[in-house]
Amino acid sequence: MTPRAETTVARTVAAPRGASWLETIAVHAVFALVVVFFLAPFVWLFTAAFDGRAQAYIRLPEQPTVDIFVRIFTEHDFARALGNSVLVAGATMLLDVVAVSLAGYSLSRLDLRFKSWITYAVLLLQTMPLSATMVPIYGLAQALGLRNSYLGLILIHAAIELPFLIWLMKGFFDGVPRYLEEAAWLDGRSKLRALIEIVLPVARNGIGVVAGLSFLAAWSEVLMMIILIDKQDLKTVPLAFYEVLRTRGGYTEVQYGLIAAMGVLYAVPVMAIFFATRRMMVRGLIATSRGL
Amino acid sequence: MARVEYENVSKRFPTQDRAAIDDFTLDVADGELLVLLGPSGCGKTTALRMLAGLEHPDSGDIRIDGKSVVGLEPKDRDVALVFQSYALYPHMSAKDNIRYPLRVKHMNEAERERRVGQVAEMLSLTALLERRPARLSGGEQQRVALARAIVRQPRVFLMDEPLSNLDAKLRTHTRTELKALQRQLGTTTVFVTHDQAEAMTLADRIAVMDRGRLLQLGTPDDLYLRPVNLFVAQFIGSPPMNILAAEVRDGALLAEGTWRLPLPRGIAAKSVSVGIRPEGIELDESSPDAQVGEVLVSEPLGSETIVDVKVGGALVKVRAAPQVRPDPGTRVHLRVDPSAIRLFDTASGSAIA
Amino acid sequence: MVVARNSAYLIGLTPAALLLSLFFVGPALWAAYSSLTNLALVGIDAANPRFIGLDNYARLFSDPDFWQVIRNSVTFVVGSAVIGQFGLGLGLALLIDHAERRRWWFATVAYAAVLLAWVNPTLIAGFLWVAMYDFFFGSLNHVFLSALGLPPVDWLGSFPMPAVIVANVWRGTAFTMIIFLGALKTIPPDIYEAARIDGAGTWRRFWDHTIPSLRPIVALTLLSITMSTFGTFIVIQALTNGGPGIATEVIALYAFDSAFKSFSIGYGSAIAAVMLALNLVFAVVYLRWSRARA
Repeated sequence: MTPRAETTVARTVAAPRGASWLETIAVHAVFALVVVFFLAPFVWLFTAAFDGRAQAYIRLPEQPTVDIFVRIFTEHDFARALGNSVLVAGATMLLDVVAVSLAGYSLSRLDLRFKSWITYAVLLLQTMPLSATMVPIYGLAQALGLRNSYLGLILIHAAIELPFLIWLMKGFFDGVPRYLEEAAWLDGRSKLRALIEIVLPVARNGIGVVAGLSFLAAWSEVLMMIILIDKQDLKTVPLAFYEVLRTRGGYTEVQYGLIAAMGVLYAVPVMAIFFATRRMMVRGLIATSRGL
Repeated sequence: MARVEYENVSKRFPTQDRAAIDDFTLDVADGELLVLLGPSGCGKTTALRMLAGLEHPDSGDIRIDGKSVVGLEPKDRDVALVFQSYALYPHMSAKDNIRYPLRVKHMNEAERERRVGQVAEMLSLTALLERRPARLSGGEQQRVALARAIVRQPRVFLMDEPLSNLDAKLRTHTRTELKALQRQLGTTTVFVTHDQAEAMTLADRIAVMDRGRLLQLGTPDDLYLRPVNLFVAQFIGSPPMNILAAEVRDGALLAEGTWRLPLPRGIAAKSVSVGIRPEGIELDESSPDAQVGEVLVSEPLGSETIVDVKVGGALVKVRAAPQVRPDPGTRVHLRVDPSAIRLFDTASGSAIA
Repeated sequence: MVVARNSAYLIGLTPAALLLSLFFVGPALWAAYSSLTNLALVGIDAANPRFIGLDNYARLFSDPDFWQVIRNSVTFVVGSAVIGQFGLGLGLALLIDHAERRRWWFATVAYAAVLLAWVNPTLIAGFLWVAMYDFFFGSLNHVFLSALGLPPVDWLGSFPMPAVIVANVWRGTAFTMIIFLGALKTIPPDIYEAARIDGAGTWRRFWDHTIPSLRPIVALTLLSITMSTFGTFIVIQALTNGGPGIATEVIALYAFDSAFKSFSIGYGSAIAAVMLALNLVFAVVYLRWSRARA
């Protein structure tokens, strides 16, 4: 083959075919529609939160103000709601990290014939919808005196996330070679100490994912809140939302400004955390759909 | 310092057809460096790990200093293991790695510092102590792993192919250092390897294993000069022992149909395998009863030459002086040293003479 | 002896096992049990709780409302999960993948927008759309439609199911989009190169190469979002609360209303039991398929 012919072939293969202007416009138009559709509600959220006379529709505030934010803290006790949400989500995260580390590690290292059955059962539990178990959990919580208590909230929220997180953490531990903990055993450590001193530090990325997911899940959770709490001092952010709704007239009068302000404070932490950890989260999500 | 005893130890992994270890009995003397040698899958690593407490025997007993350790957790056995992968804790510096086993022992911090420093000095690690394992070379990591084992002053050292991941030159260098170190410390050591040269260099005694069974236990000389069966004979020594099929006829050995060899006294068998090490055959042009062969190739090694010679249908390797390098196709005469002839029963592989 | 060796690990499983038994296994069993009783919080039955066998189920299956609820649920799942989230997710994934190959940065903006809707708490999604759909002052009517000169539409009143479906699709599309993007990225670009050299046009390449590569994951993903959409609750409750009438009452909401509005715990448990049974069937199929793939 002559040198000229070779370069011609090489060039055709390497460079992608240029897009026609029709294709470019069409695709970008679709993207524009998508962006408008998905972002419009958020535009409302952030404009209405600073709008003294907020409405349900998107508009630029005549006089941007932080007055609404002040109001939700002074008139609607939002600080308490926020504080409770942080407390519950944080405690849930801690409890989950401990329970999931122990369970994930144990499941990873277990050497029994029915080990795969346990993993299977854990995955099966994960698919149970909360809206189905909420009724019996209500009955159970009532019976155990866990309603209207921080303990109840924390225990239940920790439990909700367990199946998925255990499966996730087991995967992380499967990737930590056993000779590390074996070396620690020979160096005089018990299995538990070896786990804490050697294995967990090596698997700390997994722990981070578990902690993040656990916190976010507890923060966003609504159903259990509705069912378990009806006392003022324990209310969390979701309940604060519903409270604002309740101050209605005959027709559903939603105080949109308040909702928007509360929404901003409720949603921004989530967006921040997710933005900071997005690569990890997406990778974790893809992994869940693949390796079972 | 301790004696180690394996008594009738057997183990079968549930996923496998044959036993990983079958009726394994072995004594290691106090202060000895014993090498478990064999091909992969022979059970040597399993035997080692059972001594460490990382695997459990199905039956049999394992004792250190006369007391059974089978029920003991690894942390209570006072043995140290150098892993093939070194198993250094990645999130700790070399110094913290070495200090780790000492942190559970009763001693004050100054004492720990002293010991760590001493061991680091011994293995030329002092300059590297603050580094994390990821920033150490393979050889340096290996020394840190060794240091971590030594600093505890355990009863027994266990080593699971600790040199396999090093490049060839470093491996031979470290080998001799290891032997000197063990002599100096005097700690009983059980060393696992598949490399027969390594075993020969290091061991006080070697235990050759194949497919879960102990084939022969003895000093390197024992194994080299008096192998108990064909497997051991061919496993030990490089280049391997020449094995020829032979018949006993008219009071002599007839190997490969044409080669007459002196027959050791009192052999009754009819067909045998004859084993002769390369150094047991000479290229001797002067001898009248020398066998004729044709050179296939000469392998010059600098210090000597290995000449591959075709005799009848067989190929034998002959050790020759470094300047002797016959070209392929050359006809040469071979003379065998009678004392170098080993006979094996072809069917069972066992040595006869 | 095998157990002894594993004893440490079995102990390590106990905290999680305890929580799971208490809040998963226990409730499931309790739902089955109480569905066979007449447990209630108020009313005659509350004072006189007793075992009533399958009466709850008999009443449930003979109640036309229940079948409407089932129809609603199916409509909702088909509309939201199958057509909306799955279809839109797949379409977006293909489009974004294509755009990324062309290095059009706008694709990243679109990707981020879709993701934002999914990441936020469910309650936010619910209320954002309450605002959008509001008859007098919602953005849809007040801003978009009036800009086009059209009269306002009573979305939640006249088109409750589509409205709820759109809101849920808005919320959930990101999941399938991410999954499919991940799958698309694993297709080595050489395949397309080879196809293009062989003279295959864009459509042909898509049909012969992209689709087959995605096929294994399609079934699993579809099943996965079906299961999760089946249990959706918050968004619908916030928007329509099942109304008008029971036009958008899906099974999850029906269970909630029976138990906490009508206070019939036994009856509500029966509905929950039906949900769990259906879900179990889906789950077993899902796990079988994904193990087969692995």
